[in-house]
Amino acid sequence: MEQTIISLKNFIPECVLIVTILVCLLADLIVRKKSAVVAVIGIAGLFVSGWFVIGQFGVKESVFFGMVVIDPYSVFFKLLFIVSTVFIILFSLASKEIKDSTHTNEHVYLMISLTLGANLMASSVNMLMMYLALETVSITSYVLAGYMKKSKRSSEAAMKYVIYGAASSGIMIYAMSLLYGYTGSMNIFEISSILSKMGGTNPMLVIVMVMILAGFGYKISSVPFHFWTPDVYEGAPIPVTGFLAVTSSAAGFAVLIRFFSVTFLKSTTMLNGSLQIIDGIRWTEIIIVLSVASMIIGNFVAVWQMSFKRLLAYSSIAQGGYIMLGLVVANQQGLTAIFVYLVAYMIMNLGAFYALIMISNKLNSDDINDMKGFAYRAPAVAVGMGIFMFALSGIPATVGFVGKFYLFSALIESNMIWLALVGMMNSVVSLFFYIKVLKYMFLSKPDEENSGKIYYGIAGYVLLFILVIPTLLLGIYFGPIVRFAEMSAVMFGLK
Amino acid sequence: MIYYTILFYVFAVLAVATAFYVVFAKNVIHSAFALFGTLFAVAGLFVLLNADFIAITQIMVYVGGILVLMIFGVMLTTKIADIDIHTKNLNRIPAILFSTGITVILIFILFTTKWNIKPQVQNQETVSQIGKLMLTTYLLPFEIASIVLLVALVGSAMYARKTK
Repeated sequence: MEQTIISLKNFIPECVLIVTILVCLLADLIVRKKSAVVAVIGIAGLFVSGWFVIGQFGVKESVFFGMVVIDPYSVFFKLLFIVSTVFIILFSLASKEIKDSTHTNEHVYLMISLTLGANLMASSVNMLMMYLALETVSITSYVLAGYMKKSKRSSEAAMKYVIYGAASSGIMIYAMSLLYGYTGSMNIFEISSILSKMGGTNPMLVIVMVMILAGFGYKISSVPFHFWTPDVYEGAPIPVTGFLAVTSSAAGFAVLIRFFSVTFLKSTTMLNGSLQIIDGIRWTEIIIVLSVASMIIGNFVAVWQMSFKRLLAYSSIAQGGYIMLGLVVANQQGLTAIFVYLVAYMIMNLGAFYALIMISNKLNSDDINDMKGFAYRAPAVAVGMGIFMFALSGIPATVGFVGKFYLFSALIESNMIWLALVGMMNSVVSLFFYIKVLKYMFLSKPDEENSGKIYYGIAGYVLLFILVIPTLLLGIYFGPIVRFAEMSAVMFGLK
Repeated sequence: MIYYTILFYVFAVLAVATAFYVVFAKNVIHSAFALFGTLFAVAGLFVLLNADFIAITQIMVYVGGILVLMIFGVMLTTKIADIDIHTKNLNRIPAILFSTGITVILIFILFTTKWNIKPQVQNQETVSQIGKLMLTTYLLPFEIASIVLLVALVGSAMYARKTK
């Protein structure tokens, strides 16, 4: 009883989110039509929750009987999720697809539920809680992917997503049951100490790792669990696609990194800081394979895409591969690099998706062919898109460069030069398809029949500007995010 | 003890056999009724594990609730009751190879791993223990499960609602 009350004190941000979900639900029932009120309530709730999350910085505590922990690592991810949800709710207000759908305001509180699930994914240290949090995120994203009920593509996306999701989380929970059967515990710290005693040479552990990766890898859309990504990205409304690319996959990374770094760590080295992996367990090698495959397949297949959403889908598969490179390093520096990259990833992806919303609101299409000469019709939006595309490919003086720079230098310092080289080669390939979009926008003349100027409301430009500024500013003045990442790269129970 | 073993194999064979029928039956109604056998046999396995409460829940929720609802659903939508479902697979040979491979690996693991087997305990009352655990150790998962259900409810209502 007492522990529950103490736990609740450390659980205020999530409680605020739950209250926000309920208030939005009621407000939606009262308003009964499309209205910005529900979105405003939702954003206010997210801000309050974010304020409490900031208050948790520096806390290192295990709450709710070892189900979740509050540590700088989870605080970082919670802030990331809350900021991106605020942006995504703003995007959904601007999106024509959401406006034209037959629903009222359900997306607002569904998105906040997804944030709640993502927060729990970032902080859970118990396999049961990890699975439940993952399911919260998954079920919400299935609903959101099929949000446009009248669109066939959207229903197809939801259906494919459900089937892949059910299969992969089934595989994952089976692996968790094997691990439980072997160790008799669901808490990852206990599992780590039991495995440290028993040694890691059991072939079962390899199977468990691969099968658990099927669940987590599906969330981060890593090859070979990526088949759903292009179809779902194409079918879902763009704000939802952006949400899946940013929040849902970052949440996948949060739980993946914590699970692998804690569970298979020698428990005796947890507190002295040397952090060795249990002998015989070679999870980093599995991650290397997945990471290289994700980068190569993501980048090379993206080259052929003519649908902007599919292009961004393959681009996010590839970006996931880069982030996994940081995990391969498996030390403090790698984690810092991942955090820097995630901040960059969030900013540039949100920007790219918002620019795409602005474009497709007017063109009613996400085909790159239709964007011919867009720079002549709406120069500001095209320039904004250009900046985000350069950032995604990692050109210097943008935030994307800082992310890649830290990742590759972490790799080089731990003597994995060939991996850094593979990553750099892939960046070069990625440059090709990111620039391809700009070629269509800037170098081709618009077709005769639609060459009129396109205007947007002032709010649209302001939001675009808010996203362009950090993309450029943090590319030059990146001290703050690096310091923030260094402070956050501390997990509960590890020194 | 011999009865225990016999009962275990009876339930296990029943569960697997009916599960096969669920997958391969060409008629949805047949599948649904076969599922009844699967769920019931699993409830029997729970009883053998001394998990009486879970066994009852399994029967009440799955057999009594979900399955009946499913059969109702099938019967109310008359069209799908008569349709032959295609249980064919496009990539039959790769699928067979893949799943046989996985089965072999899993069976290999099953027999080579030294599982953490707890000693058999005397049959105790489980309901009160479950109640205590749900309000202490597993309080958070219990509460979060309700959020998951709320989301699922909102989602299904959203899809099922008539559009204007």
